[in-house]
Amino acid sequence: MMRQLLLDIRPIAAPSLNNFVAGGNRDLLAHLRAMAGDEPGSSVYLWGDSGSGRTHLLRALAAESKARGLYLEVDQINFTAADTLIGALEATHAKLWLFDDIHLLEPDAQIALFRAVNLAHARGVTVVAAGNSAPRDLPLREDLRTRIGQMLPFCIQPLHDEERIELLHAHAAARGMKVDQEVFDYLLRHGRRDIRSLLGILDLLDEHSLTRQRPVTLPLLREVMQTRLI
Amino acid sequence: MMQQFWEVCLSRFEQELPAQQYQTWIKGLRIGPSEDDSLAIVAPNRFVLQWVRERYLSRIEALGLEYFSQPLSVRLSLPEAGTRTPAPAAADERTPAASTAAPEQPERNRVAALRADSTDSTRVAAPAILTRSVIDGGGERDRSRLNPGFTFDNLVTGRANELARAAAVQVAQNPGMSYNPIFIYGGVGLGKTHLVHALGNEVMRHNPDAVIRYVHADDYYADVVRAYQQKSFDAFKRYYRSLDVLLIDDIQFFNNKTRTQEEFFYAFNALTDAKKQIVITCDTYPKNIQGVEERLTTRFGWGLTVQIEPPELEMRVAILKKKAEMERVKVGEDVAFLIAKNIRSNVRELEGALKKVIAFAHFHTVPISVEVAREALKDLLGAHNRQITLEFIQKTVSDYYKIKVSEMYSKKRTRAIARPRQVAMFLAKELTPESYPAIGESFGGRDHTTVLHACRTIADLRLKDEVLNHDLHVLIQTLRK
Repeated sequence: MMRQLLLDIRPIAAPSLNNFVAGGNRDLLAHLRAMAGDEPGSSVYLWGDSGSGRTHLLRALAAESKARGLYLEVDQINFTAADTLIGALEATHAKLWLFDDIHLLEPDAQIALFRAVNLAHARGVTVVAAGNSAPRDLPLREDLRTRIGQMLPFCIQPLHDEERIELLHAHAAARGMKVDQEVFDYLLRHGRRDIRSLLGILDLLDEHSLTRQRPVTLPLLREVMQTRLI
Repeated sequence: MMQQFWEVCLSRFEQELPAQQYQTWIKGLRIGPSEDDSLAIVAPNRFVLQWVRERYLSRIEALGLEYFSQPLSVRLSLPEAGTRTPAPAAADERTPAASTAAPEQPERNRVAALRADSTDSTRVAAPAILTRSVIDGGGERDRSRLNPGFTFDNLVTGRANELARAAAVQVAQNPGMSYNPIFIYGGVGLGKTHLVHALGNEVMRHNPDAVIRYVHADDYYADVVRAYQQKSFDAFKRYYRSLDVLLIDDIQFFNNKTRTQEEFFYAFNALTDAKKQIVITCDTYPKNIQGVEERLTTRFGWGLTVQIEPPELEMRVAILKKKAEMERVKVGEDVAFLIAKNIRSNVRELEGALKKVIAFAHFHTVPISVEVAREALKDLLGAHNRQITLEFIQKTVSDYYKIKVSEMYSKKRTRAIARPRQVAMFLAKELTPESYPAIGESFGGRDHTTVLHACRTIADLRLKDEVLNHDLHVLIQTLRK
């Protein structure tokens, strides 16, 4: 039986709003593009399954924001004293604060985020938060959870297979890989089809193809999947 | 005779009502002298009186009918002048018209009357400010941390919060003089914060020089910690005692923070002694706060304790329409009703849902209709935390086609079993990220090509076979629920 790949290999191309395959998320993408302007507007919460592209979107928006974005990983909040975090937020000129993986916040960090959200509200700063479930299901302190629920919510729609292939093509091109269509077809047929696993295998393939100096072909993919996955 | 009946009433209410409600509204009621056969109930203050009239009068009348076998006339009043009553009774005495208003008088008028009479009373000028050195720069509004967007005018009022609102208005017009502290409690997202900001803004409107400070309990705690680290307790104390109005939000977060509680205890005493107003919000009533010293919780109950309850449907609709109006968007009654019906618990999530509907309609450039709203809220309302598993799909599909779950893994290939199995494989591929080999494995160790074939077969068939297509729709909906 195949096991899930848990590879933390980042795509070479920096996340951007343009290299996000929209699929059923055209409205979300359009909204985030508008938010990247001088006036980010009202706060947004986006959720989706693991591998749906939450982090990609948040990092992309942070990087492209004209109003300056401040992106914080969940552990930066979990491992920072609330006062230090709030102090940093009070000092920053960023007008857009992005908080990732908020479903993983520790109890103390939830207090910090609660204060941060209130501070943002008081200062007219826009917040973008991301998590793995709809606001009503977030395992957070009720006062924080409802404040998240007050934001404009977007559910990131999973991609269809054709869109996944499109994404793989784009990713391969960004890495300078030449990949046969049959490799992608095989990958979608035999591997886990969430984006993170797919991109993980693609990265692994690239590595193998480079280290063994072999082209990316179906036999190489089979080899990689057999040695690394089973 | 009335006394006996009243005792029956009390014991019935004690059984029927939650303890806190009984304590707050019923226990303080007294029987007054009555010349005829009517029951004269004396309420300790106007708020209790209004509340009892609205919520419990009909029940008392019903109990009376049961007890005396004839209709009982009930009169509600406030204590006579001269009897010892809390401070606000002074206002009550002057306005018997408002307080003994007939029960059928519309609620709005009663609240209006209440406000009208409070404005008559003499305003107390804010005392001189002792010091304002702690926070420098910015105007009084910046220092106050009040959000000017929260006012009494844009607070939607309904049964759930009208008493709290009326009390807050009263306090805002007479800070430090009527109810001190005013303790507002209720669940999350019901508008407690809005109400206290509105109170603060109202005080500031009347008296721009008043030193007002809104502080969340967590921030107060952070201030105490900072004072500790910087050894600046003197400045801290001076600052908090210099306030004319202190609005402290979510006091339940003081739990187990002893030093914070101690500091607040002294600030509380200093402020109340100087007749400065304290406004507290909490998620529960004073006696029920966990991890807070009794000397504090007792004091919290000294003034007036009012509850904000979750808004009923009509109020949720009204809130939505108000918010839409503020966004300059037209939202029909039916759409507001759809949202309000699906989101019950708190006001904030109503707002989130409304924003979603507006953004969706804007993006697709369609007018906001019920269908559009339903589509926009699909993910938000149909949300589930459950990951769809292969086992769950197999179970659901078996149930749907009324076959045994074991048939999903069996070798049988009769049509009646093979087709549902193919449907389940198709759904597994559509709804989970599992690979074809993994799916095959879970269906009795079948090859991935079998899964692939099943998926293709079902994908082709559903285009021609309406029944199958319908089955798939129903199954997907069931699985996603």
